[in-house]
Amino acid sequence: MRPFYGAFAGAGALLLAGLSSAQAATEIEFWHAMSGALGERVDEVVKKFNDSQKDYVVKAIAKGNYDEVLNGTIAAYRAKRQPEIVQSNERSFLTMVNSGAIVSTSELMAQQGRPVDVSKFIAPVVSYFAIDGKLQAMPFNSSTPILFYNRDHFKAAGFDKPGATWQELEPQLDAIKAKGVSKCAMVLPGDYEWSFLENYSAVNDIPYATKRNGMDGLDTSFIFNKGKLVGQVERMKRLVSSGVMQLAGQGIIPIQLFTSGECSTIIASTASHAAVVAAAKFDWSAAELPYEQGVTPKNSVIGGAALWTLKGHTPEKYKAIAAFYDFLAKTDTQVWWHQATGYVPVTTAAYDAAKAEGYYQKNPTREIAVVQLMRGTPSDNSLGFRIGNSNQINVAIMEEVSAAFLGKKPVQQALDDAVGRGNEVLRRYEQLNAGKK
Amino acid sequence: MPARNSTAALPVAAGGGALRLRWPFRRLLLKGDGQAESGLKRAHFRDWRLPFWLLAPQLFILLLFFFIPSIRALIQAFQLTDPFGATTQWVGFQNFERLFRSGVYWSSAQVTLIFTIAQNVLTLSLALLLAFASNHILRGRGVYRTVLLLPYAIAPAIAGIMLAFLFNPRVGPVAHMLQGLGFDWDPNRNSWHALSLIVMAASWKHICYNYIFLVAALLSVPQSILESAYLDGAGPIQRFLRISLPMITPTLFFLIVINFVYGLFETFAIVDATTRGGPAGATSILVYKVYQDGFVTLDLGSSAAQSVVLMALALALTFAQFRFVERRVNYSV
Repeated sequence: MRPFYGAFAGAGALLLAGLSSAQAATEIEFWHAMSGALGERVDEVVKKFNDSQKDYVVKAIAKGNYDEVLNGTIAAYRAKRQPEIVQSNERSFLTMVNSGAIVSTSELMAQQGRPVDVSKFIAPVVSYFAIDGKLQAMPFNSSTPILFYNRDHFKAAGFDKPGATWQELEPQLDAIKAKGVSKCAMVLPGDYEWSFLENYSAVNDIPYATKRNGMDGLDTSFIFNKGKLVGQVERMKRLVSSGVMQLAGQGIIPIQLFTSGECSTIIASTASHAAVVAAAKFDWSAAELPYEQGVTPKNSVIGGAALWTLKGHTPEKYKAIAAFYDFLAKTDTQVWWHQATGYVPVTTAAYDAAKAEGYYQKNPTREIAVVQLMRGTPSDNSLGFRIGNSNQINVAIMEEVSAAFLGKKPVQQALDDAVGRGNEVLRRYEQLNAGKK
Repeated sequence: MPARNSTAALPVAAGGGALRLRWPFRRLLLKGDGQAESGLKRAHFRDWRLPFWLLAPQLFILLLFFFIPSIRALIQAFQLTDPFGATTQWVGFQNFERLFRSGVYWSSAQVTLIFTIAQNVLTLSLALLLAFASNHILRGRGVYRTVLLLPYAIAPAIAGIMLAFLFNPRVGPVAHMLQGLGFDWDPNRNSWHALSLIVMAASWKHICYNYIFLVAALLSVPQSILESAYLDGAGPIQRFLRISLPMITPTLFFLIVINFVYGLFETFAIVDATTRGGPAGATSILVYKVYQDGFVTLDLGSSAAQSVVLMALALALTFAQFRFVERRVNYSV
């Protein structure tokens, strides 16, 4: 047996020696939730980084949708096998911050001698991902909803373009249906609580929850069942029950109903540009989100995701992470990412660079989201949302609002119930995280 | 063939030739007098070791995948915890109180009741019909049976997505057909349509399972009795209802239990793919809520409490079935 073991040990030593010479570069894992075309863009940006230097290697791994990535991260963290970087959507902000599992981006970058200047990032991104001016996560893919429309359909119905306010847009949608231009004047997006409720309240400057939508503490409560949002849900219900607005339902994705030419409009993330450009075979364009007549519209709020750094790794790995973040924040990288995906550039420098090269003259719809995010001064109602257990609350809100669509309960009652259920979750979150921010 | 037991120091057992075992098994399995008997009763194991090792792999798997998770669920049901496990608070019965106060939970329970019963009735009656029919087909019986078994090999999520697509009111061919017939089909806006969709998806997946058991049961009905009934002038349907059906009640009973378990515990993937519990919670059955609250929205405490309730429900249901329904089952023929 002895010679065998000897040979084995020898081979092992050789293997180790080989590995240590080949692995001069520090390798870090990056779990993300981007699939399809966007997943390919992630691979490209990672390859750009890997090719740009020799010391670090980033391995990008797609782990399903945002929920699945978060679930996988939690399981991995509990098993002490967490990756270095995970992409997590804006909704999970408080979950991540209070998890005790992350290293804040500002802290990490300062330690690595690459301090972050938050003033370089665009305001709606900073207000979402920073606490007291310190970035908690590295902004990666930021988006905001805009209105995509089928120009052929609008022309056929006798309109130039969609009206800027709901009061102008609604009769147009009715006319498109009445004139038989299309059977589906608008399709309801799957994430409508983001585009139709949260962004509606930001743009129209009405409060969604107390304490500046949760920015000022965990003792926040929802108050969207009073005021203009009730009217918005009434409007949605009217559009759905008159058949002007259609629900895509399971089995297909709402944006497909727009790109196939079946539906005339959709309010969707600016990141949908990738899908629309690839699939729409008609004359299309986009516009800013509609708002209420008589209101000076505020900025919309972002969606999308950021990159979180997890605890429990060696100093070399953190050095690699910092280098990767630095690369991502570079103006060149940001401009490329913005143009390749449709997401907004997260720094003002990148926006200016894209503008300077004349990109928006050729692609005017790409600028809508940026302009909409940066217009005016953010008010308490348009800073963003800091809601604990936001995923869980969303499920409840969407369930109640769709009960109103179905005519199961009156709109006011549905919203009261949604607020009640949401507040119950908020109180539980407060109970568990008492003393944290 | 002589038993190769020369290494054993034990006296050679006159086991009648039927049961010739080598040393370790012989010693463990045979009774003290060295006589082997047919049938394995507890008395046959002189020693605890053989039965232990025979059961060990299964017990280990049960421990790993059933008992440990169950106990953890039980503990978690009394906790409020951060998904990452950073903070954990003991909250006593708070999770359960919240559950039973919640109107959403009760409506989910109601939906589950309708769903499991509808699914059970549909699955069993269709499988019975198909088993009866394919038993009476002479040509290509094997082909029919194979085709009928195919859906069982399809993953629940794929079955769900397929049905969701076929019945999608905007693009689904079946939905268009229904609408063409003047039926205003829309599972996105009608709770009953959505519910019937998941009943269809769940049943379609499970008919084959029921079917294979029923075919086997029907095959075991003694031909002589059926033939004498035939000679007495009973038609095929009469023979089926009066002779075959009563004789397969043990199988039917078994399938009812299995179907309830299936409907209660194994259908969350189908619901997730077909309707995502919507519209407005109309198809959010209890097990889907466990999945959604636990894995999608990360409310681990509530999800654990719900799974404990489901576990208790399953125990109660199985007990009730064996206590009351089994009395009507005829085992002796």
